[in-house]
Amino acid sequence: MTSHVYLVLTSILYAVGALHVLLQALTRRRLLTSWTVGATLAGFALHTAGLSQRWTETGQFPAIGLSDGASFLAWAIVLVFLITYMRTRVDVLGLAAYPAAFGLVLIANLTPATRSADPILHSVFLPVHATFAFFGYGALFVAFTAGVLYLIQERELKSRAPRRFYYLVPSLDRCDTLGGRSVEWGFAFLTLAIITGLMWNHSARGRYWTWDAKEWSALVAWAIYVGLILARHRTGWGGRRAAYLGIAGFAAVAFTFVWMNVIAPGPAL
Amino acid sequence: MIVLVGVSYRTAPLEVREALAFPKDRMAEALLKLREEAGLDEAMILSTCNRVELYGRPRASAGDGEAAADATSLVESFLSRFHGRPPGALGEAVYRLSGAEAIRHAFRVAASLESMVVGEPQILGQVKEAYHAAEAAGTLGGTLNALRNRSLAAAKRARTETGIGHNAVSIAHVAVELARKIFGELRDKNVLLVGAGKMSELAARTLVRSGARATVLGGRTFDKASALAAALGGRAAPLEALRGELAAADIVISGTGAPGLVIRHDDVVAARRARKGRHHRPLFLIDIAVPRDIEASVAKLGGVFLYDIDDLRAVAEANLRERMKEAAAAETLIDREVHQFLDWFKARDAVPLVVALRQRAEDIRRLELDKARRRMGPLTAQQEEALDAATTAIVNKLLHSPIVHLKESAQNGHDPQQVSLIRKLLGL
Repeated sequence: MTSHVYLVLTSILYAVGALHVLLQALTRRRLLTSWTVGATLAGFALHTAGLSQRWTETGQFPAIGLSDGASFLAWAIVLVFLITYMRTRVDVLGLAAYPAAFGLVLIANLTPATRSADPILHSVFLPVHATFAFFGYGALFVAFTAGVLYLIQERELKSRAPRRFYYLVPSLDRCDTLGGRSVEWGFAFLTLAIITGLMWNHSARGRYWTWDAKEWSALVAWAIYVGLILARHRTGWGGRRAAYLGIAGFAAVAFTFVWMNVIAPGPAL
Repeated sequence: MIVLVGVSYRTAPLEVREALAFPKDRMAEALLKLREEAGLDEAMILSTCNRVELYGRPRASAGDGEAAADATSLVESFLSRFHGRPPGALGEAVYRLSGAEAIRHAFRVAASLESMVVGEPQILGQVKEAYHAAEAAGTLGGTLNALRNRSLAAAKRARTETGIGHNAVSIAHVAVELARKIFGELRDKNVLLVGAGKMSELAARTLVRSGARATVLGGRTFDKASALAAALGGRAAPLEALRGELAAADIVISGTGAPGLVIRHDDVVAARRARKGRHHRPLFLIDIAVPRDIEASVAKLGGVFLYDIDDLRAVAEANLRERMKEAAAAETLIDREVHQFLDWFKARDAVPLVVALRQRAEDIRRLELDKARRRMGPLTAQQEEALDAATTAIVNKLLHSPIVHLKESAQNGHDPQQVSLIRKLLGL
């Protein structure tokens, strides 16, 4: 099978997962059944096979350009979601993770796969830097979702007439803790990604900083997360403000990804 | 064949149910007497505050309507006699079911579809206990045991696959559920009770059971406050300490009979400021007093969640409506399970007849074979084998279609007249 066939099959399985989770949410039952998890694992296995096939086909780590980037990002989000679900059993994260994974794989399917001949892409820094960055994106996506869930649950509770989401979303405390933990993980990966990115810059261009917008937005995201983590640890900060800050940080991260792949594609760096 | 005689909150007032209840310490005795006096092979008694039900399998295995009527009236007169009532005094308060009706009822009771509040969790445990008592007393046999296994499994399925058991429907439980949605774990959370009312106590008990610590504030009735504090394993404090206690509290349940406000906006603002390093921690205020104790404007403060008695009631009612919707799904599920059980049950009913028929045919075959052998003299092994095979084949071929027919008719509902006709025809 070619990597494209793998990708099509993967998107079908993720679509099944997304539809299933949405339907379950509408009927207010348990969101994830063993079937959903099984389909996800199968989809994830196919996805992994597809990515490695793609790597073999092009001889280049499949994280460059919108098509490969979106596919790899979906892979990282599903992986982080599965790990988080296994550890915390917060199934409502699936309401964000499945549609996101499906959307990204769909984008990957619909956009032409780009291949850049830029010699710097043969650097060993590419797989290392990209893996760190995408794991970071995955964890920060979970943090972002936890923040949104916190705000939704807070609004439900404040309304004094809680509705559907009140039952689906875990407690405020749970959302807050989950957000805090995943920000820490995401921040660690983001830091590693920035460091390896700078080293890659230096080895390819002889300069650490190239004044590109994505470097700035990554730095802004990093600064937001530093502030958030310090505030949490030093002053016992949390709750709604932490949720907003987590969402803001993710916006900066998302901008970095979109800038790199959509607005100013072209050779990496 | 199963018969059932019972009273429930639907048919009898509390006084009657109380008078007919079977105390735990007399249960074994009652079961043995029931089996003996009503001529049953198996017996089980379910006795809760909402229902008293006697299940039994009559000794006469023929399942015709007359036998069932006899058995139910025997069970009913046992019920009256055991509780020292004149026979027939129960009249309309009693329902008498038999066969499929009784089985359906047993399934519905276990699944809480017959309960006052659909989906209430206690009934499943009570039914389990009732079967367990019958098992211990030795009055449980194959039929009631099968009913136990299938109805309990169906009840569990109804609970896990539909939402009948979801979400609190009492005000105290709604409050506790809300607290869980805010704090997650309730361990080591501080609950502050302002005033010592019945409903505050109910909610506080559940919170304390989940690991929360209680403090009770008392004003004029300080004795009452310290008594409640002792019952909750917490401490009591005077009402003047409100601001200080408020700063330490996570959950406040206020239910004083005071005519005016007890907890004002300023009190809450000051308390929020006073919690060092924890100002983002949420504060859950429950105002169950009428007139209200807590100034309504505190609900606008960040991290403060205020619910009054009407809010809690509205949530409870919404939850109950949701349960009713889910109950329809549970009804369908239980119906399916009852049908499966009945099919299995009826097929099992046919088994003794089929076995008897086969046995009779085999007896005749052996008898005739022996006679023939005596006339024929010694035979070789091959001849013996051929004779045996030929006679077996004749018997099997002759019996094939009646046996298939018997099993089929049992699946479609046994006709007792047909069964007795077959018995007569075949001399069984």
